Amino acid sequence: MEAFREKFKEEANELISDLEQLVLQLEGNKTDQSIVEQVFRVMHSLKGGSAMFGFTLIDQFTHLLENIYDKIRAGELQVTEDILDITLNAVDHLRRLIEETDANFAELAAANKKFIVRIEQVLNQNSPKIENVRLILDDEDVIRKTKTYFISFDPSPDFFQDGSNPLFLLDDLCQLGEAVVVPKYSRIPKLNDIDPTECYMGWNVILTTAEGINAIMDVFIFTNNRSKIEVQKLSDINLLADKSYRKILAETLANKESIVIEALHSLTQDLEKIHSENETLIQRKSSASGHGRDQTISSIRVSSEKLDDLINWVSELVTIQAQLSLFAQQNHDAELTPISEEIEKITRRLRDDVFSIRLIPAANMVTRFQRLIRELSQNLGKDVLFETKGTETELDKNIIEMLVDPVMHIIRNSMDHGIEDTIDERVANGKPATGKILFNAYYSGTNVYIQITDDGKGIDLAKIRRKAIEKGIISPEVELSRKETLDLLFLPGFTTAQSITNLSGRGVGMDVVKRKISDLRGQVEIETELGKGSTVTIKLPLTLSIIDGLLVRIDDTHMVIPLNSVYKVYEYQHEKLEHAINNLILADDERVPAINLRKHFNFETPPPAIERVVTMEYNDHYIGLTIDEIVGEYQAVLKPLGTMFKGQDFFSGATILGDGSVALVLDPNKLVEQFAKNEIKIGG
Amino acid sequence: MKAKDQKEAENLVKDIQTYLSFRLGEETFATDVQKVLNILELKPITKVPHAPEFMRGVINLRGNVLPVIDMRVKFGMGKIETSVDTCIIVLNVAINGEEVMLGILVDAVSEVLEIDENLIEPSPSIGTRYKAEFLKGMWRNGEDSFIMLLNIDLIFSTDEVIMLQTKTEEAGEIVD
Repeated sequence: MEAFREKFKEEANELISDLEQLVLQLEGNKTDQSIVEQVFRVMHSLKGGSAMFGFTLIDQFTHLLENIYDKIRAGELQVTEDILDITLNAVDHLRRLIEETDANFAELAAANKKFIVRIEQVLNQNSPKIENVRLILDDEDVIRKTKTYFISFDPSPDFFQDGSNPLFLLDDLCQLGEAVVVPKYSRIPKLNDIDPTECYMGWNVILTTAEGINAIMDVFIFTNNRSKIEVQKLSDINLLADKSYRKILAETLANKESIVIEALHSLTQDLEKIHSENETLIQRKSSASGHGRDQTISSIRVSSEKLDDLINWVSELVTIQAQLSLFAQQNHDAELTPISEEIEKITRRLRDDVFSIRLIPAANMVTRFQRLIRELSQNLGKDVLFETKGTETELDKNIIEMLVDPVMHIIRNSMDHGIEDTIDERVANGKPATGKILFNAYYSGTNVYIQITDDGKGIDLAKIRRKAIEKGIISPEVELSRKETLDLLFLPGFTTAQSITNLSGRGVGMDVVKRKISDLRGQVEIETELGKGSTVTIKLPLTLSIIDGLLVRIDDTHMVIPLNSVYKVYEYQHEKLEHAINNLILADDERVPAINLRKHFNFETPPPAIERVVTMEYNDHYIGLTIDEIVGEYQAVLKPLGTMFKGQDFFSGATILGDGSVALVLDPNKLVEQFAKNEIKIGG
Repeated sequence: MKAKDQKEAENLVKDIQTYLSFRLGEETFATDVQKVLNILELKPITKVPHAPEFMRGVINLRGNVLPVIDMRVKFGMGKIETSVDTCIIVLNVAINGEEVMLGILVDAVSEVLEIDENLIEPSPSIGTRYKAEFLKGMWRNGEDSFIMLLNIDLIFSTDEVIMLQTKTEEAGEIVD
């Protein structure tokens, strides 16, 4: 039972997240029946599951919540801010309720009671107040979904024997939608022959309903097998909506005792033609609103442990495949080479596919941001619209999890410092009264970019500079480029906020954001235009566990430099490097500082006569790394170095080479950072 | 033979533990055999720059990266000069509650010993190079040789077995 409860919890958490997302959608589109419908359905599943697994509090709670949406669905209640507020609070409340145990039952039950009172207030206060627009929308909706069915029902003569009453069934049918019921008298015998315990009646029903054929069959679920029930779909549209048709239909049915279905079909065809024109019109409208009606989810739930296992195996396969390629290369066997190449191709494919399993769309984190902005708008009294683009962009699940906090922080900053404090201020600057924050995700090369853009005040570079000088971070005579100035924002303890609010401005912020994103092997940048707004761009690798790299050698040690940071490779005589002034080398007529890795890493063997310098970009500068030799391009499966190596964070890990030996994977950013720090220490 | 049979019979009634002994320089140490996963021949070790001296580097163990520790350096005896007897013992140790796989580089693996717990003598607290907490005790092997039984989990939980001097070297490197 416990296992089932766990499973349910997992599922319930997903349902609750769905609910949250739907409610936020509903906020933007309050009259959209289909969203209300979905909200209702989610709540219903939640209620059903919780009752089954003994989560009594959730059961009670969702039942009431469901009532609200049932009323909305029926048009008795309208979606208001108040209702949305309650529902969102309810989402939080539900998350707590999921953790229901015997220990905290009493506490949760008390919270539950309070909430239930609120919900009941909402349920009782709102009286229907339906606008015209809404009514029209509803009508269109009903016509669109409703189909017309023909049902012929002939109970067996012994129908009454087991206590059944055909009239109840007909009542049930009529509840499904609008119905025209025509009785059939043909089986009634002469008065003398009538046995009062037998049933002689039959009925033809034309029913228009949105429930589908299964719902109709369900009505007859308990009737005995000898009764004749025939259900056929007459048309995909609501035929009964047309009054003239209804009349003709009823007449035809009454006159003809047994109905020939073909005749009915031909009768409907004329009408359908007329309707189909309307239909396309309506369809176009609804597709414009962007909600597919049939959202079938074709996915399988797999534990992430299994996935990790699979990925580990594929990683090993990639390693072994590299060994095979190496072996084939060395042996020049005419038969082996094509096989090895084929395997290489397939392995690459397999690897890409398997790794893509772990990818989930960015939409998964967006709900939380939407929620955050909604709450902040209320708290700060700023009217802000949240827009998203490219939420289908997929990222590694681990990356998404680790990305939520930094992005939350960026959005908080945008809300707090970016968007103007008052509407007047915005209007005075010729901007729309409603602020806008845009979340944009997209691919570029082997990277994913995430941008958060606001159309607020922007950042005053002069102010940053003043602040930096004030805090002693830079000295007044230092000239900084635009980017260097903006990068000051990422320094610990730096904030330009005039006052400290509870949201941001405590100076623990952008530096943490930057660190967290660096941990993901990503980069973060700010671009801003005073008065127009700011954009924070986060650049991330697609996956954390495979690196396209350049395999290099120093002495007998192999190292991998991630290819995305490599710019160019140069060749130099050793003497030239040795005598380079201030470690500056000349690369394409530019002077580039070079770090001699051989020296830096304390290799004691004599260097080769010709050394190579790999240049890479670091903060808009080029920096060279001196190594002995380039071995080639290499796809490295990243393996952790383990807890035994603590101070070596300029290696992001290690990887196994084709010959079975281990190569170290460099983290160039960390390396340069550390190098720069040490240089400064020596200088100062 | 007879004496051995008798000994085995005696073992049954005593608290017998199995140990793997190995040699570092002139001294013999032993670790609980349950911690040992594997004994490997020496293979090329990839050095990790800027790591403490006792961290010899990493090797590939069936597709995983295994750190290798020079036990002589760890015990302040000077780096191991490799010979045909040099081995890597793969251990599964608990470091601060976390299971970690690592290899230790030793001069030679000696033998598997069955040791009666009751015969283990406490290590003298004065006059040894090693902090007492890293030794479970001493065991007399024959007439005048002792085997030091290691508390292997604790050894890797800290940087300081006796290695004050390696630490300062490390600190010196960073300033360089």
